[in-house]
Amino acid sequence: MNYAKKLLAQVGLEPERLEMFFLSSAEGAHFAEIATEMTERARRLGPNPLKNTKTVEPPKMEVEA
Amino acid sequence: MIVAEQKPLDEIKGMIADAEKVLILGCGTCVTVCFAGGEKEVSILASQLRMATQMAGQDKEIREFTVQRQCEYEYNELAVEHVRDADLVVSLACGIGVQTMTEQFPEKRTVPGLNTTFLGQPTEQGVWVERCQACGDCVLELTNGLCPVARCAKSLLNGPCGGSQRGICEVYAERETPCVWHEIYERAKTLGRLDKLLEPQPAKSWKTSRDGGQRKIVREDLRL
Amino acid sequence: MSDNTYLVGSNLEKALKAGYFVATGELGPPQSADRSVIEHKAGFLRGIVEAVNITDNQTAVVRMSSISVGSMLLQLGLEPTIQMTARDRNRIAIQSDLLGAYALGIRNLLCLTGDHQTFGNHPMSKNVHDMDSISMLQMVRDMRDGKKFQCGDPIKGQEPRFFLGAAANPFADPFEFRPYRLGKKAKAGASFIQTQIVFNVPKFADFMQRVVDLGFHEECYVLAGVAPIRSVGAAKYMATKVPGMEVDPEYIDRMTKATKGLPSPKEIETMDPKEAAQVKKARKEATENEGIQICVDVISECRKMPGVAGVHIMAIEWEEAVDEIVKQAKIGPKYDPARQNA
Repeated sequence: MNYAKKLLAQVGLEPERLEMFFLSSAEGAHFAEIATEMTERARRLGPNPLKNTKTVEPPKMEVEA
Repeated sequence: MIVAEQKPLDEIKGMIADAEKVLILGCGTCVTVCFAGGEKEVSILASQLRMATQMAGQDKEIREFTVQRQCEYEYNELAVEHVRDADLVVSLACGIGVQTMTEQFPEKRTVPGLNTTFLGQPTEQGVWVERCQACGDCVLELTNGLCPVARCAKSLLNGPCGGSQRGICEVYAERETPCVWHEIYERAKTLGRLDKLLEPQPAKSWKTSRDGGQRKIVREDLRL
Repeated sequence: MSDNTYLVGSNLEKALKAGYFVATGELGPPQSADRSVIEHKAGFLRGIVEAVNITDNQTAVVRMSSISVGSMLLQLGLEPTIQMTARDRNRIAIQSDLLGAYALGIRNLLCLTGDHQTFGNHPMSKNVHDMDSISMLQMVRDMRDGKKFQCGDPIKGQEPRFFLGAAANPFADPFEFRPYRLGKKAKAGASFIQTQIVFNVPKFADFMQRVVDLGFHEECYVLAGVAPIRSVGAAKYMATKVPGMEVDPEYIDRMTKATKGLPSPKEIETMDPKEAAQVKKARKEATENEGIQICVDVISECRKMPGVAGVHIMAIEWEEAVDEIVKQAKIGPKYDPARQNA
C-alpha cells in the first residue's frame, strides 16, 4: 500500500485518495464508516484530475515468454 | 548480476515530453530480477506516465512490451512492429540494452529509463550490494574470496587503512558498511593463510580494467 | 640502519641515526594561493624541530600542494617532509612530481593512502587510488635504490633519493594486525613511521610492545604522534567525531578542570567589559596551558617506551604552541640538552 501511494505521489496525485481496509462481510457498520470517510476525503481533495480524461486501454500485445 | 534502478519519474517525463507515441520496453533478465525493468515494472511505469501526461493535458499513447534479453538482436527482433510504430523508445533495460536497441534500430531514439548502477549480489530480499568491479584481473585467490577492488572504498591491495574501526569502514557516514580488509584479515586467520598478507603487494595493473579503454573479447573457437 | 652511510642525508635521517629523541612538526597549507600564510607559520617552527611535515590535501579538502609548500619552506630555512597521498594522483603523476620535488631540494617523503574524497569538499571527483601507501613505498624505494621507474625502465641521470616514511594507526582495527602492517611498510621501504595522535597511552604502549617483540623497531624509526589540546570542545570532538582516534577521559577531565578557580562563563556575564575580557583571557590561557601540559606528559610517557625514536607534533592551526611543547619536553635541535654540544 505504501508503495502504491508513493507511485501516486510521484505522478502528482494525493496519496490519501487510495486506502486499503480489511473487513468481513458481517461488518456492515464498519463498512458504512469507511465509505463515509472516503467520501469525505474525496470531497476534501476535490475531483480526481483524471476524471474526465479519456480512458486509455493499453493496446493488447503478446508478451514473449 | 547487473543491478539497476529506475530513474525518477520526473526525469522520464522530461525525456518523453516531445514524443506522442512512446514504447516502454522491458527486459526479462537482470533488471527483472532486481525489480527495476521487468514486465511488471514496465506496466507500472506505463500507468504512471499515462496518468501524469493526462493530468498535464497531454495526449500521448504509451505502449508496453517486454523482451527476454535486450542485449541480443534476436530477442529485440520480436518487438520490431512496436518499435516501428513508436516515436520514442524508453528502455527499462540496463545501459547495454539501450545501446543494443540503438544499434539495431538506429532510426529511432532509445532513451534509458533506468540508471545502471553496479554488478552486485542480492544479499537479502530487497537489498543489493556491489561485489565486482570487472577489473579484468581477478585477485580473489589472494584474498580468499573477498574482493578488495570492489568492496574497499580505496581499492587497497595492502589494506586495511587506518580508518577501519571495529570492522566498519569509516568512509560511509552511516557507519554500517563492513571493512572488507578486516574481513579478509579474519578469514585469512581462520584459514591459516595470514603469512600471505604479510607480503607487500605491488600496485595493480589497471590495463585490463576500464582504465585501459573499452574492452573486447574475441573467441575464435566460437565464431561461425 | 646499521652502517655508517646515510641513505639520503637529510637532517631528519641524521638525527634519527644519531639516536636523539627526535621531534618533527607539521604545517597545514592554506585553502588559498596565499604565500604569506606559509611564511607566518614557518616562523613558529624554524629551528625547533628536525623537519616539518606538509599535509597533502588533508581530509580531501583542496589546499596548496605539499611540494610547492615544501619548496617554500626550503627557501625559508626549514627542512620539509612532503606528504603524498594515493588518492589524487596516479603513478605517472606521483613519479613526475617526485622527480621535481627532489630537484627542488626536498629529501623527506611520507607515503600515504589518503582520506577518502567523500570526507572533503569535492566528493564528486573521480577516485584515483592507482596504488596504495605500501605499493607507493615500493615504487619510490625502487626509484632510489634500483634507479628505475615503476614500469621497470631505468632512470638515466639523477634518481630521486627520498628518506621514506609512512603512517600507522595503533588505534585502528584489527588491533592485532596493526604491528604487522607497520612491518609491511618497513619491508616496502619505510625508514620511519609517524603514528596517529596518542591520547591513549596504555593502548599505545601495548602496540609498541608488540612492535618491539616482532623486531620492527629495528627496521624503522617509530615517531609517536602527539598534539596539544586547545579547548575542552576540541578534546570532546576528537574523542567522539574523529574515527581512529581514542581519547582517555582523563584528558577531557583535566581540560575541564583547567579553569578551576577562575570565574565561570555565567559569572563573566555579570562583569563589566574590561574585567570580563581579562577573565576570558585568563580562562583561555589556563585551558591552553593545560592542553600543552597534556601533550608534554604524553611525550614523556612515550619517551619511556622501547622502540619509540621520537615524536611527531601535530599542532594544526596552533603552530605557536610547538615551541612551548619542545621547550618543556626538552627535545628537538634547540632545547635537547644532548644536542647542545653537537
